[in-house]
Amino acid sequence: MLKLTNYSVSPVLENLNIEFDVGRTYIIMGSNGIGKSTLLHSIMGRPDLEVSGDVELNGENINEFEVDERAKAGMFIGFQSPTSIPGLSNFQFLKQALNTKGTEIRETLEKFKGLSQSLGLPEGWDKRNLNTDASGGEKKKNELIQMQMLNTSLAMLDEPDSGLDVDGIKALSKQLNEWRTADNTLIVVTHYEKLIESLNPDAIIVLKKDHVVGGGKELAQKIFAEGFDSV
Amino acid sequence: MYKNLYSERLVDSQTGVASYFKLEDLADYISSSDFIALAEQSGYQKKVPGVHNHFVDNLMYLREVGIPNNKHEQFNFSNLNKLKQLDILAKQSQYDPVEALERFEWVAHQEQSIVINDSVILTSMDLGSKKPFGVQILDNIKFNKQKQDEYIKIIEPTEDFRNLTYALTPFTNVIIFPTGSKERYYNKPLNIYYENSTQDPILEANTTIVDVQYNTKVKINETVKAQAGQMNYVTYIVREDAELVIDRNTVDCGGWGIFDSRFVCHPGSKVTINFNNEGSKYSQENFYFKCSSHVDINVKGRNNILAGNEYHQYVLVKSQNDNNKSVIDIKNVGREKANTSFIGKFDVSPYSIGFNGEMNNNNLMLTKDTKMHTRPILDIHTKEIECSHGCTISNINNEHMYYLQSRGFDKDSAKDILVESFLC
Repeated sequence: MLKLTNYSVSPVLENLNIEFDVGRTYIIMGSNGIGKSTLLHSIMGRPDLEVSGDVELNGENINEFEVDERAKAGMFIGFQSPTSIPGLSNFQFLKQALNTKGTEIRETLEKFKGLSQSLGLPEGWDKRNLNTDASGGEKKKNELIQMQMLNTSLAMLDEPDSGLDVDGIKALSKQLNEWRTADNTLIVVTHYEKLIESLNPDAIIVLKKDHVVGGGKELAQKIFAEGFDSV
Repeated sequence: MYKNLYSERLVDSQTGVASYFKLEDLADYISSSDFIALAEQSGYQKKVPGVHNHFVDNLMYLREVGIPNNKHEQFNFSNLNKLKQLDILAKQSQYDPVEALERFEWVAHQEQSIVINDSVILTSMDLGSKKPFGVQILDNIKFNKQKQDEYIKIIEPTEDFRNLTYALTPFTNVIIFPTGSKERYYNKPLNIYYENSTQDPILEANTTIVDVQYNTKVKINETVKAQAGQMNYVTYIVREDAELVIDRNTVDCGGWGIFDSRFVCHPGSKVTINFNNEGSKYSQENFYFKCSSHVDINVKGRNNILAGNEYHQYVLVKSQNDNNKSVIDIKNVGREKANTSFIGKFDVSPYSIGFNGEMNNNNLMLTKDTKMHTRPILDIHTKEIECSHGCTISNINNEHMYYLQSRGFDKDSAKDILVESFLC
């Protein structure tokens, strides 16, 4: 699905080799400032990051792909602090991203409303400005709606639990578990034990500056008990 | 314009490039002793001595002050050099009123619509039927000499382009919304089109007075299309407890234009202006408000200035008495090589206690070769007021671009969305 070879992002990450298989769920952990968010954004093609090495998506080298081309190929990044754009409504934004026209608009709106309701977002969320005057938790939920509606096959979520209350975490786990299929790959940066438990990941990846440590759920448990230096 | 200049002397005086002149030549000519003498002999003005004397006084004042330069506060950032370099065709085919009527014949079949072209007013048929309490149009001096004499005095001598516009238009048209019309023209707005009669680089000018009478509520949809040169000077009189809403849409049609709007706001009146402008070869849009007391002014502009265009703006709110309120909210987007400027001024007199003013001008530069200026001026002469301003110039936010691209928008679409949301 996604393969990183000799992958470096200056100045934080050096010479990483990681392969993410289709239909699997991965948790990325690592100490503060090690480059977890940078890794996800570099994979998405963020233009201000200096990257070397190769990125392959479904066997195709996407090094030269622009951000939007990566998105159209099924990649999605959930931002840790989603950007606010006043003057653009949540639904208008999605409608344009999906290029929805004519009779499809009603169908798309219904799906949007269904998802926002299931995540506990307030009535009229579709008309609210994109991530403007919203709480941190509401923004995160909005990212989840986008992820599910934008034909995503590889979702990379950067601390999706931050800002969410207890009910929000439950709704997040439920949505992610429902979204996961044999065709969808999920990469989540998180340090939240309960979320890791509920997602039941296929692998835990601990990011170090110039290598990664991989393992099962027990790796996460060890980190929670003894810290990052123990692995 | 040419039909109003009484003489072909201007054309005769040209040497070399015989058929073109510049704005300064024109101003020099119409403020010259020769022209003033011609104007004094003119039969048009003599019919109403008050109008005639006022017009000649203005010509003399124009001779004294000339056309504006960048030292004038409101033109500090205006690209007047470019304006002065524009060619104006001196000689066009003989003005034929029948031809003009045919050109704007379409307006006759519209509803509640007026075309204003080079001081001529053409109306839709429903406005011509003179319904009770309907809009009244004083088409220059033909109909009501006494009223013309009374109205013309409201046009005061200035040091900006209004002098020149007035000098080019000895016919001043008056549009009156009588008190009896109540909300008729609010529920069904009046449409006014400012258009040129040709795409030849001529200059056409209009001086108009719009009188919204006591306790009347009016909405006007204005469409401004400058296919050639166009200078408009409109004085809106908004009388006691009247309300005027203007939606103005200015489209770039390849010409250039100066639009001066002056508002004389009587106590308890309310004015709301929503406008958008694409800029043009040269575009200057000015609003001058003179507020008595308890006046409410709202100015909202959303200008998407197209590549290579000029757009310069001056907004002056002069608060003369107590409890006036004004909100100015103008956003400009400048595309490649566009040149824009905004100067906003609150001029609050010592008697203007309780003034509440908010001035915002936000500018978005889409490229590095765009020029944008903004200057807020608060000239306050009393203590008991509330006044604020926020003027910004920024580039496209890279974070926003990345966010939109990460949702599948290509660069151009992402830029368009950001412009749209900025102007929202």
